[in-house]
Amino acid sequence: MRGADVSEYVVRFSVWARVQHAAVIVLFAVLLLTGMPQKWPYVEASRWIIEHLGGIFVVRWLHRAAGVAFSVLLVVHVAVAIGGVLSRRTRPSMLLSVRDFRDAVDFLRYCLGWAEAPPRFGRFDYRQKFEYWGLVFGGFVMALTGFILYFPIAVSRVLPAELIPAAKVMHSYEALLAFLIILVWHLFAVLLSPEAFPIDTSIFTGKIRKERLRHEHALEYEELVGRE
Amino acid sequence: MRRRRSVVGGRHAIVQLLIVGLLAGGALAQKAPEKLRDSVAACLACHDDKQLSVQLRDGATMSLHVDPQGFLHSVHGSQLVCTDCHARYEENHPSGATFPSRRAYAIASYETCKKCHFDTYTRTLESVHYELLKNGLDSAPICTDCHGAHNIQNPHEKRAMVSRSCASCHDGVYLRYAKSVHGKALEEGGNQDVPACADCHTHHQIQAPGTTQFRLGSPQICIRCHGDRQLMAKYGISATVAQTYLSDFHGVTASLAGGGALLPQQVVVTCIDCHGVHDIASPRLMGGEAMKASVAATCAKCHEGASPAFPAAWLSHYEPSLRHAPLVFFVQLFYKVFIPFVVVGLVLQVLLHLYRVSLGR
Repeated sequence: MRGADVSEYVVRFSVWARVQHAAVIVLFAVLLLTGMPQKWPYVEASRWIIEHLGGIFVVRWLHRAAGVAFSVLLVVHVAVAIGGVLSRRTRPSMLLSVRDFRDAVDFLRYCLGWAEAPPRFGRFDYRQKFEYWGLVFGGFVMALTGFILYFPIAVSRVLPAELIPAAKVMHSYEALLAFLIILVWHLFAVLLSPEAFPIDTSIFTGKIRKERLRHEHALEYEELVGRE
Repeated sequence: MRRRRSVVGGRHAIVQLLIVGLLAGGALAQKAPEKLRDSVAACLACHDDKQLSVQLRDGATMSLHVDPQGFLHSVHGSQLVCTDCHARYEENHPSGATFPSRRAYAIASYETCKKCHFDTYTRTLESVHYELLKNGLDSAPICTDCHGAHNIQNPHEKRAMVSRSCASCHDGVYLRYAKSVHGKALEEGGNQDVPACADCHTHHQIQAPGTTQFRLGSPQICIRCHGDRQLMAKYGISATVAQTYLSDFHGVTASLAGGGALLPQQVVVTCIDCHGVHDIASPRLMGGEAMKASVAATCAKCHEGASPAFPAAWLSHYEPSLRHAPLVFFVQLFYKVFIPFVVVGLVLQVLLHLYRVSLGR
C-alpha cells in the first residue's frame, strides 16, 4: 500500500444519493418496527412494541405514513434516475448486464479457489447492483401491495377481491425477504466483510479512499486516473 | 415376592371396595329421604296449609305455604332443615311480625344463602345485578329469583331452567336466543353442548355486556367451544374459525385493542358483529346465495361502499388452499420456497467469501 494514496479521497456519492440512503434507513426501520409486530401479533415482543408505540391504531397510522413516504421516495428516485440518464447528466451505472452474471460466477469460482483473482468490478459490483434492483423491485411490490391493503374497497371495485388477501400475504413475505437480505447480505457487505470492516462510511460521507476504489472498483478507478 | 404382591393386591381390593361403598353410600344420601326430618315436619305441621298467609304492610297477602314434596326433592331436601335458613324463627314463633312488601321480604331474606355459598355470594357483589340492586332497583335479581327457594334444583343439570329464569326479566333477548341455533338445540333437543345464557355471561359475576371490555373479550367466549376440535367435530363444524379469525386483520385488531376505551373511528370487529349475538343462525343452513348476500350486507355495515364482490377479500374462515383462495395459496407457496432459496444462497456466498479470505491471498 503506497502511503501517498492513503489520504486521497474521491467523491463517490452525491448529496442526493446520501439523503436518499439516510431516508431509506429511517423509513425502513420505522416500517420494520411497525410492520413486523403486525406480522407476528401474538409474540410477546410484538405486543410490547405495539403497546410502547401507543397501541395498534397508532402503529398502523405510523406504518401507513412511513409507507406513503417510502412510496413517494421510490417514485421520485426512479423519476430522477430516468431523468438524469435521459438528460445525460448521470450514467446508467446501475443497469445490469451479462457481465454482472459472469462476475457473480467468477467471484464464486474465486471463493472456491478455482480462480487466482477475483473479477474486476466497475462503479458498482454485481452484488451492489443485485441489491439495488432487489430494493427497487421489492419496493414497488411493497408499495403496490401496501396500497391495495390501504384501499381494499376501491381495489375490489375494479379488480378481483381475492387480490386483497393475496396482497396481504405478499406484503408480509416480501417484507420478511427484504429484511433477511438486508440482514445477511447488506449488513455483512458494509459492516463485517473484510473489505469494509468495521464500517463502510462512503454512503454517509460521500467519499471513498482512492486505494479502496482501486481495489474494489478497479475498472472505475482506471477510468478515473488512467491505467497505471 | 409373588405372594407379597398378592397380599398387597388384596389390601388394594379391600380399600377399593371401601371407597366404592362409601361413594355408593354418599350417592344414596344425596337421594331424597323417604320422610321428612322431625324438625322439618314440625314446621310443616302448620306450613303445609295452602291457606296460611300473612298480611303485608303494602296490603298484599303473602302465602306461607311450603310444598313438602317440592322441598323434599330439592337439592337441600336431604341436607337442611327449615331453621338453617329461617334462623330468626327458632324462638317466639309466630311472632306476628310482618314486612313492608313481598319483595322487601325476599331481599331481606336472600342473604341467608351466603352462610353456605359464601364465595358465590361475594361474586354476585361484583355483578351488574347487584350494582342495580344497590342503586335501589328492587327488581334486580337476587339468589332466589333464579334458583327458587324451597324447590331449588341442581343448576348444572337443569341448564334450560336457569336460562328460562333469565327470561323472566330479559324476555326479548331470550326469545331471540330461543330461535337461534344454540337456543333451539337446547330448548327443543335438550342439547347440553350448546351455550345457555350463563355460559357466555357467566353465572354470578355477570358483567354489563355493553362495555368495550366485554366486546373485546367476547371472541374468547366463542372460542371456548368453537376452538375445541373434538366438540366441533361432533357437529361437523370447522374448529379453525377461531384461528383464522385471530390471524386475520379483524382478529388481530381485537386482540391488540384491549385495555383502554376506543375512539369512534377505532373500529374493532368481533365474532358477534358478523354472526349476531343472541340470534346467531347456522351459516350452513342459509344456502350458498343467501349466504353470499348476507356476508356482503354484513361487510357493508362497516365498509362503506363495499361492492357485492368485496367479501371475496375475506377467506371465509378458510386457510388458503388450492380449493379456497388458490391465488393466496400460490403466493404463499412461492415465498415459502423463494425465501429459503435466496437466504440460504446468500448465506452460502457470505461463508464462501469468508472462507476464501481465511485462506489468505
